[in-house]
Amino acid sequence: MKIVSISLRNLRIRLVATVLTMASIVVATALYAAILVMAEQTDARYRGSIGGYQAVVGPKDCSQLELVLNTIFNVGEAPGLFPLQVCMDLRAGAGVSRRGQVRYAIPQARGDSVSQFNFPVIATLDEMFSKYEWQKQPLVFETGGPFRFGWDDLMKFADELVAWENGRRAQEANRPARPKLLPEWRQCVVGARVARTLGLAIGAVVTPVHGKMGEFGFHEHPEASCEIVGILAPTNSPLDTTIFLPLSTHLLIDGHEEGVFVLEVPPGRNPDDVKKLPVKPGNIALTAVIVDPKDHLGARVLRRDFGTRPDAQVAWPQDVVPKFLRQIGNAADALAVIAWLVLLVAAVAITVAIYNTMNERRREIAIMRSLGARRGQILAIIVGEAALLSFFGALLGLVVCHAAAYFLRALVEDQTGVWLDWLQFRTWELWLLGGVTALGGTAGLLPAIKGSMTQVADNLAQDY
Amino acid sequence: MIHLRSVQKSYRRGAESVLACAVDRLDIAAGEQVALVGRSGTGKTTLLHILAGILRPDSGEVEIVGRRLDTLSEAQRDRHRGRHIGMVYQTFNLLQPFTALENVLLGALFGRGADSQARVRAEALLEQVGLGDRMHHRPRELSVGQVQRVAICRALVNDPEVVLMDEPLGNQDKATGGQVLDLLLQIASHGKKTVVMVTHDPESAKRMQRTVDLATLRGEIAVGGGR
Repeated sequence: MKIVSISLRNLRIRLVATVLTMASIVVATALYAAILVMAEQTDARYRGSIGGYQAVVGPKDCSQLELVLNTIFNVGEAPGLFPLQVCMDLRAGAGVSRRGQVRYAIPQARGDSVSQFNFPVIATLDEMFSKYEWQKQPLVFETGGPFRFGWDDLMKFADELVAWENGRRAQEANRPARPKLLPEWRQCVVGARVARTLGLAIGAVVTPVHGKMGEFGFHEHPEASCEIVGILAPTNSPLDTTIFLPLSTHLLIDGHEEGVFVLEVPPGRNPDDVKKLPVKPGNIALTAVIVDPKDHLGARVLRRDFGTRPDAQVAWPQDVVPKFLRQIGNAADALAVIAWLVLLVAAVAITVAIYNTMNERRREIAIMRSLGARRGQILAIIVGEAALLSFFGALLGLVVCHAAAYFLRALVEDQTGVWLDWLQFRTWELWLLGGVTALGGTAGLLPAIKGSMTQVADNLAQDY
Repeated sequence: MIHLRSVQKSYRRGAESVLACAVDRLDIAAGEQVALVGRSGTGKTTLLHILAGILRPDSGEVEIVGRRLDTLSEAQRDRHRGRHIGMVYQTFNLLQPFTALENVLLGALFGRGADSQARVRAEALLEQVGLGDRMHHRPRELSVGQVQRVAICRALVNDPEVVLMDEPLGNQDKATGGQVLDLLLQIASHGKKTVVMVTHDPESAKRMQRTVDLATLRGEIAVGGGR
C-alpha cells in the first residue's frame, strides 16, 4: 500500500464529485489541446503547401486571400471567373508581361467535386505534371502517369469550341458541331489521399459532381466520367485531395455552357446582350492561373503589370499566407487564453470540491495521524488526489482532442483546407499533461493544508 | 519502558484554563500489562494521548521506549508513534472504505512501511486472530468482535514495543470482548510488549498484571476536567 493508493481510493469513494470535477478538466484540456493542434497544423499545412506556388492569378473582384485559399487550399467556392486571355498574355509576353518573364503559366478551372468527401476537381493542362514544381521538384507519381492535354491542344480545342459557340450565339442553321469529348480527355490524375480514401486504383473511373454532394442543386456528370491514369505520391498538401482532369473535359461538361465564356459588358449595353456577342478563345473562363516568375525582376514586372490590369489580379502566396497565419495565430492566442481561464476555473472547482469534503474527513485524517501519519503525508494524500484527478482529466482531455480530430477531420478540411493528423502526438502534449497535473496539485494545496491541520485528539473522540 | 514525571496537561475553555491530566510519577516496566482506571474526568484518555505523542504535555517529562516525547517535534512524535506504539480505540477507528487487510496495512504504511514483508505480517496477524477468510471484507461487513480484532492487528502490525488501548471493550458484550482481550494479551505477552489499557471495567482491569488508579497519580492536584 502506498500514499497514492489512498488518494486513488478517496477519489473512488466520491465518484460523482470526482467525475463532475474531472469533466471540467477534460473540457478545458481538450479545448486547449484542440486550439494548439488546430493552430499548429494550420500553420504547418499552410506554410508547407505554398511551396509550389510563386504567384496565383485570379479574378479581380475577390480578395487575394480568397484567391489563394481557393486555388491552393481548396477552401470555399471559386471566387469568380476571368478570361483565358490573361493566361495567353502571360505565356505570350504580351499585355501583362514581357516574354520570358514567367517560367510557366498554367490555367485552371474548378467548380466540380468527386464523392461525398467533396474532393475538388481541377481542370488544367498536363503542364501541372511536367512544368509545375512542388517543393522545387515536379510532382511524383506513385503509380501511372499524367493525362495528355497541353497548351497547343487547348488552343486547338478553344478554336473549335469558339466556332461552335459563335454559331450557337448567332443561331446559324449551318453552325459547326460541338467539339466531341475525345477518349484521351476522359482521363484523370488523382491525389494520394483521394485514391486511399476512395480505394481507387489505376483504371478506376471517377464521376465529377456539379457542386458538392448533398448540397442543393448538385448533380453528377456521367458524360465526363474519367479513368484514372495516374496517382500522385503523397505531398501532405491539398494536392493529395485533388482530382486533375483536362481543361477540355471541364469545358464540355453538360450544363457548364453558361460559365464557359466570360465577357465584359460593353458600355451602354444590356448585360443580357452579352450572351449574344461573339466570343474569342481568350474569353474562355478560368478560375486561376498558376504562375512562376523566372526571377525577382519577373516578379516585379508581373506585380506592376497586374496593378493596372482590369480583369485579373495576381496574389503572392508567400505574402498572403504568413499574413493570414498571423491573424489565425492571434485568434488562436485569444482562444488559448480562454482555454487557460477555463482550466483555472476547473482548478478552482477542484479546490472547492476537495475543500468541501474536509469537514467530513476530519475523523479519517485524525485516525491516520494517530497511526503515525505526519502532516506532510496527509498533505501529500490530498494534493495527490487533486493531482491525480487533474492528471486523469488531462489525459482524457487529450484523448478527446485526438478523437475529435479523427471524427471532424473531413469537416475541418472542407471548411479550412487543413487535414488534421489525429494520430500525431507532440511533445507539448506531455507538457500540457504535466502542467495541468501541477495546476491541479496546486489547487489541492489549500484543502490539503486545512486537512493537515486537523486536530487529532479532538477528532478521534467522535463516534464512528 | 515508560516514565512520567510531573506531567500536566491543560485545555483552554474560553478564557479559563482547565487541567485535564496531572501525573506526578508513573513508571511502567517493559513487558508489563497495566490497567489505568479512574472515574470520568480524571484524564485517562488525555494521558493515553500524551503517551502516544498525540498530545504534548504543558510541563513534565514523558519518556517512552527510551525517548523523551516532551522534547520531540510533532513530526518526530508522529514517526515515533508509528514505529513504536500500537493503538486500539474504543470505537476501533477503522477506515470504512478500506478492507480489513488494507486497514492493517495502513498501520504499517505510517509506521515501518507497507512493503511486501508488512503484507505478509498483516496477513499472518489476521490469520492468527481468525480472520483469514475475512481479510478482504470492509469493516461494515464484519461483526463488532471481528472489527476489534482487525484494530488489534493494526496496532500490532509494526511489532511495536508498546500497545495503548482506550476502553477496547467498550462497544461489545463482555464475553466476546474478554476473549479478544485475552487474545491480544496473549500475543503481547508472547512478544514481550508493554500494554497500557484505559478502562472503566473492573473485570477487564483484573486481566492485567497491575492496575493504576489515575486519581492516585495526581498528587496534590485535586481539580481537573477530563476528556
